[in-house]
Amino acid sequence: MRWKTVSAIFFLVVLYLIIGATVFKALEQPHESSQKEAILDEKVMFLLNHSCVNSTELENLVKRVVSAVRAGVNPSANSKNQSSLWDLSSSFFFAGTVITTIGFGNISPHTEGGRIFCIIYALLGIPLFGFLLAGVGDQLGTIFGKGIAKVEKMIVKWQVSQTKIRVISTLIFILFGCLLFVALPAVIFKHIEGWSALESIYFVVITLTTIGFGDFVAGEKGRGHISSQSGNSNLNHIYLNYYKPVVWFWILVGLAYFAAVLSMIGDWFRVISKKTKEEVGEFRAHAAEWTANVSAEFKETRRRLSVDIYDKFQRATSIKRKLSSELGINATLSQEMTPGMRTLSVNLGDERECYPNLTMSLSPVPGALTRNGSLYLNGLSPDYAAERRDFPVGDSLK
Amino acid sequence: MRSAGRSWVLLAGFIVFYIIYLLFGALVFSTIERPEEERLRHELASLKEDFLNRSCSSAAALDVLLLRVLQAHRSGVSALQNTSQPSNWDLTSSMFYANTLVTTVGYGHSTPLSDLGKAFSILYALLGVPFTMLVLTACVQKLLFPLVVGPVGLLHRCGLEPRAACALHLLLLLLLLVLCFFVAPAALFSWLEGTWSFLDGIYFCFISLCTIGLGDYVPALQPGQKNKPLYQVSVMVYLFLGLMVMFLLLRAVHKMADVHGLTRLLQLPRCEEASPEDDHRPIICEPRDKSPTQPLQSASQTTYNTINKG
Repeated sequence: MRWKTVSAIFFLVVLYLIIGATVFKALEQPHESSQKEAILDEKVMFLLNHSCVNSTELENLVKRVVSAVRAGVNPSANSKNQSSLWDLSSSFFFAGTVITTIGFGNISPHTEGGRIFCIIYALLGIPLFGFLLAGVGDQLGTIFGKGIAKVEKMIVKWQVSQTKIRVISTLIFILFGCLLFVALPAVIFKHIEGWSALESIYFVVITLTTIGFGDFVAGEKGRGHISSQSGNSNLNHIYLNYYKPVVWFWILVGLAYFAAVLSMIGDWFRVISKKTKEEVGEFRAHAAEWTANVSAEFKETRRRLSVDIYDKFQRATSIKRKLSSELGINATLSQEMTPGMRTLSVNLGDERECYPNLTMSLSPVPGALTRNGSLYLNGLSPDYAAERRDFPVGDSLK
Repeated sequence: MRSAGRSWVLLAGFIVFYIIYLLFGALVFSTIERPEEERLRHELASLKEDFLNRSCSSAAALDVLLLRVLQAHRSGVSALQNTSQPSNWDLTSSMFYANTLVTTVGYGHSTPLSDLGKAFSILYALLGVPFTMLVLTACVQKLLFPLVVGPVGLLHRCGLEPRAACALHLLLLLLLLVLCFFVAPAALFSWLEGTWSFLDGIYFCFISLCTIGLGDYVPALQPGQKNKPLYQVSVMVYLFLGLMVMFLLLRAVHKMADVHGLTRLLQLPRCEEASPEDDHRPIICEPRDKSPTQPLQSASQTTYNTINKG
């Protein structure tokens, strides 16, 4: 996405939030002030009748206190300079927690109208925020990608492998992001809110993963909410009005960072799985090809061998027929094959293979050369053949 | 088909492992948080006793009491009844807490009290949230074909053009979703929880399924709730299924935006039918130039035998 589109969507989201804030304020603030008045009245009554407190009265009081606190009112502090839960900046913050789906819950709508509006608001706002998140994540990704490319260029000179560069650059990206979006805000929160280090990190993680329990919420101190130190209520409201939107902006960028990291990891997994699939597929294909080739070769050799043998026997038969006709021996001799004859016939064929010139010259002059050349080349004495006087008939071999 | 079977087995293994992960988290939370909760409860009880023993209480003492009560209430401990209260950190409640942690709903009705619990929550969430997202996307991927691509193709074959088919299918899916996952559970919740109205039920369903999780309404927390463990487990199942359906709906919307050209207009990434080489598209349909990466099939390659016989 281009910068212009992203900034346009950003302004749209801010406008949407402001609209939501005003609507929430209009819906919830009257209800809140009436609750405040009621709890104050109750407290005054209790103090008037304070002699010999019985348990039922106490229970009732506690119930009322608890339900008041759920509306965000703290009866244990001086209620004069307490800021409302539903003033503009807090409503903005609440609307932000709704559309980012964090949902702290320290503030929640109590009127029916507020709840219905909350549903409709979320239905439209969550996809809108999703688009914004996609855009911001994209931009973040390009920025970091360019940075990583530069780092990679530097490292390439040292001739490290590609995967190592990738891994190192991702680690750098993650570390840098963690520093900027997790560690730094945690330190700031620790300092401003007075939480412990663990609590700050806890708040950062719970917020950025959009879990949002609401037991720790940034920016609650100024309202004199449940905090043991009552001396810090002199935080001026001007500071508070800027603090919350800044926190929300941090949430936006932090969420985009988390989303970018997750999508990068997802991309990696996809690429790795595709590559692995391809490689495995290739490997399997090569292995199968190799086996197929080998078996084909084997079959081919066998086939050729058998064809050859058949061929040779045929030729041997014809040669011997001619030989026998020349030598004047009866062609209808017994067709039994002694091992010697078989070896003779086979060797005939083989020798013909090894001496192609001989085979070439065999056909036109079957007579004299055959007798001398082949028999002699066999290593068998000419006497043997002449002695035996029987020649194999090629047909018997089939 | 073997790869299809294998991917189903993998998914089942994934889900089993996810359930084990939840159980493990529940156990750890339970063992870490329970003692702390007991301690807080005892402290509150003794505070109340002190208060009642006085004849006349002062405003300062009252304020101190209220402060402690409120802090305790924030951590999920109520100071109201003397009778024994079911713990917020028994096994099913801890599992419920782990589930809200991992699906990022985060009601906040019970939060870790001890430092160790907080630290463990951080680690658990950092691992569990991506894992849950992975599981949900994998499930949605499996469901996408029979629930989205199939019906759209069917409608397309019935004669509707792609845009109309997508829109009609989306409408039907939305109607089904609202009925099954909002209206029916809302009615059920408002019946099971005595103090919830129907609107409160719908509000709760919506806030939970969008993973906002404000926490003003949390089921199974009424005092004297019958079958609390079963109730909590069924709410967890409802959350998981509902989240899956929401993801599916998102994918369907994305696909429709694709078909209507909206994603190109806003220059967003297209809805890719990721890993099309999965079960549903046979490899043989792939173009020829991909043959080196295909495993060899019996009849696809000519052998010497066939050449010679011809």
